[in-house]
Amino acid sequence: MAITRRELFTRVGKGAVPAAVAATVGVDTLQAAEPIPVPSAAVGLLYDATICIGCKACVAACAEANDTPADTRRDFLHQAPTDLNDVTRNIIKLYKPEDGSEFSFVKRQCMHCLDPACAAGCPFQALHKDPETGVIGWTPEKCIGCRYCTITCPYHIPRFQWAGFNPRVTKCELCRHRLEQGLKPGCTSVCPTGAVIFGPRPVLLLEGKRRIQSNPGRYYQDRIYGEHDNGGTQALYLSHVAFEKLGLPELGPESVPARTLRWQRRFYQYFALPAVLYAGLVQVIRKSIKGHEEEAHEREKRTGLRAQL
Amino acid sequence: MSSATPATTQNQSKPRWERYVPVYGFPVVNSFFVVLSLLVIVAFVLTAYRELAGLGPVSGMNDAYGWGIWKTFNVMVLTALGSGAFAVGIAAWVFRRKRMHSLMRMALLTSFLAYACGLLLLGIDAGRPWNFYWMVFPWKWNLHSPLAEVAICMSIYAMIPLAVENIPPVLERLWYFDSRLRPVVTIIERRLHYFFPWIIAAAYLLPGMHQSSLGALMLLAGERVHPLWQTPWLPLLYLGAASFMSFGCVAGTTMLCCLVWKRAMDMEVLDEAARITAWLIFGWLGLRLLDILFRGALGTAFHFDRFAAVFWLETLSIAIGGWLLVRSLRFHDPQPMFVGYVLSSAGGMIYRFSPTTLAFRPNPEALYFPATIEILVSLGFISLGVLGFLIAVKRLAILPAPLQEWYDMASYFRFRRPYIRWTGYFKFGFFGEEESEASGSD
Repeated sequence: MAITRRELFTRVGKGAVPAAVAATVGVDTLQAAEPIPVPSAAVGLLYDATICIGCKACVAACAEANDTPADTRRDFLHQAPTDLNDVTRNIIKLYKPEDGSEFSFVKRQCMHCLDPACAAGCPFQALHKDPETGVIGWTPEKCIGCRYCTITCPYHIPRFQWAGFNPRVTKCELCRHRLEQGLKPGCTSVCPTGAVIFGPRPVLLLEGKRRIQSNPGRYYQDRIYGEHDNGGTQALYLSHVAFEKLGLPELGPESVPARTLRWQRRFYQYFALPAVLYAGLVQVIRKSIKGHEEEAHEREKRTGLRAQL
Repeated sequence: MSSATPATTQNQSKPRWERYVPVYGFPVVNSFFVVLSLLVIVAFVLTAYRELAGLGPVSGMNDAYGWGIWKTFNVMVLTALGSGAFAVGIAAWVFRRKRMHSLMRMALLTSFLAYACGLLLLGIDAGRPWNFYWMVFPWKWNLHSPLAEVAICMSIYAMIPLAVENIPPVLERLWYFDSRLRPVVTIIERRLHYFFPWIIAAAYLLPGMHQSSLGALMLLAGERVHPLWQTPWLPLLYLGAASFMSFGCVAGTTMLCCLVWKRAMDMEVLDEAARITAWLIFGWLGLRLLDILFRGALGTAFHFDRFAAVFWLETLSIAIGGWLLVRSLRFHDPQPMFVGYVLSSAGGMIYRFSPTTLAFRPNPEALYFPATIEILVSLGFISLGVLGFLIAVKRLAILPAPLQEWYDMASYFRFRRPYIRWTGYFKFGFFGEEESEASGSD
């Protein structure tokens, strides 16, 4: 039995639409149920705010390890950056409330999220999570300087270099060049009190839980920030004051990209739905064009003027 | 469409747009044109300075507000105004609103200019633009990134479907300009028409994708966007805003052109455009208010702060604009219609501007206000688009007009300005009267 072209299109369409909808809606619901995979050799930092004395040795060591110039822009003498910036990947900040209640230092650097929002938004994968160590590194050859990472990061970590024709994005890369040589990151190698330690993520989690167990009531909420927050991070925090006060917002156990880009990701799954939409549009427009051309030629006959399509 | 009434008995009081006719008899270079050109030159010089000095010295952007008006206004807002090729085109080709075809060339032209100028500024805004070459390698794309979607999809859209859709007026001009070119032009046109269904379909799919992805950009910013704006429906709302704003841009600009160059307005076409726009506006407003209501963010609209002020400003101007459009339908009055387009588009512009800038709160003490150079460059690239528009409508058949306008133009170039060579619409061959047999052969 011969089928016409029209029938063929209709049959293909009848099959393609449900298939595309299934691929769009169904497949990703399965994916969303999966937990975020932890890289096989995930390393990280454990920072304990109760031990930190705020000596800022890690800030200087970080600059040295990463070969960045000392940020002396504040008084042109001391290396005293006020915040993370284009030459500062790591900083110690002080939280001291007005009412005289407990103060705390906090070390801020990249959290190395398990499902990073910066890498989810990065158009050409310049910010990329290493599949083994889980370190989020920046590749200058792929970065177009769009600064979307500075918008998306829930911890506001990546910083853009505003001066110069060849700007860089600066963020902690967990001294990945030192890790390759078998060395520890700069900050952890100099910390005099052991407030920040380096190790595989599972080991750090165990250590954190041991500290919480042996010091009941010492730590805020008796939990490690980063174990589940924002889908889990590789920089883990213990603190005696509320995490929000230290700039670590409550983000819930679901990662930011998984929570916000769910529909975006579904819609573009395998590009199935856009493809079906496109095919449908082509069919409708073919017919419209035919009618439009006929009308235009009719008008051409009527007016004696060339058809304008 | 009225049945075959001869052109001579057309009712004088009710002009019908039947043909695209260039704006003739006005010089391209006038004082306004010179001012715009100066702005463009200033912007180009400042762009060169920006490329050497970096973004910091020329803009008010900072660590908290990583995006300035180049992205948030020139790209996010102005490409929404320039979505006419998408929204008007869908009305004309997909929903077969035949009257909308007389606005199509305006829609295509404004879209192309808005996108081209936006993309140029996007390239200037990027800190490391030389790395854009990764766009050529699809396997390097981060397909789940809304920004990659926007950057890639917008470039492809502006460079292929939008540019190709704008070719017919150019070919038409060549056809009229020199009869020796006609065989070649006819062949190219036939080739072009063969591919048109695929090109036009792409011209609706791609903007649908990137205009919604522009909304998805701010989803990742999470809580830092004020709850009145931050919603999972942001992509759809952005797309809807682009639809009614672009109708406002296309129909409003056409009305303005008719006013400036003293052309007749076809109220049948304008009424239909206003009716579609009003539907789009009230559907969009309904979706927006329902979304706010169901997310429980309505309370924040009654706080005494700048966010509530911006919210009411945009909502009221869109609503009043929509109401004026509905009112204008009853009396077929172009005046409230024009004001309605201006108000609703302005409200839409504020809406598209808010999530990235006005309602974006990275931290309490952060502030952003564009620097002078930043504003000048932004203005310069808008002027570039306006310049392109002025040249195009005076040299190509873009604006719709009654049939009589075409005959007037033919006689103008034949009798009153016969010495015009390059700037006239006709040069060698016929003058628009005896052409039917030339084209009737194919």
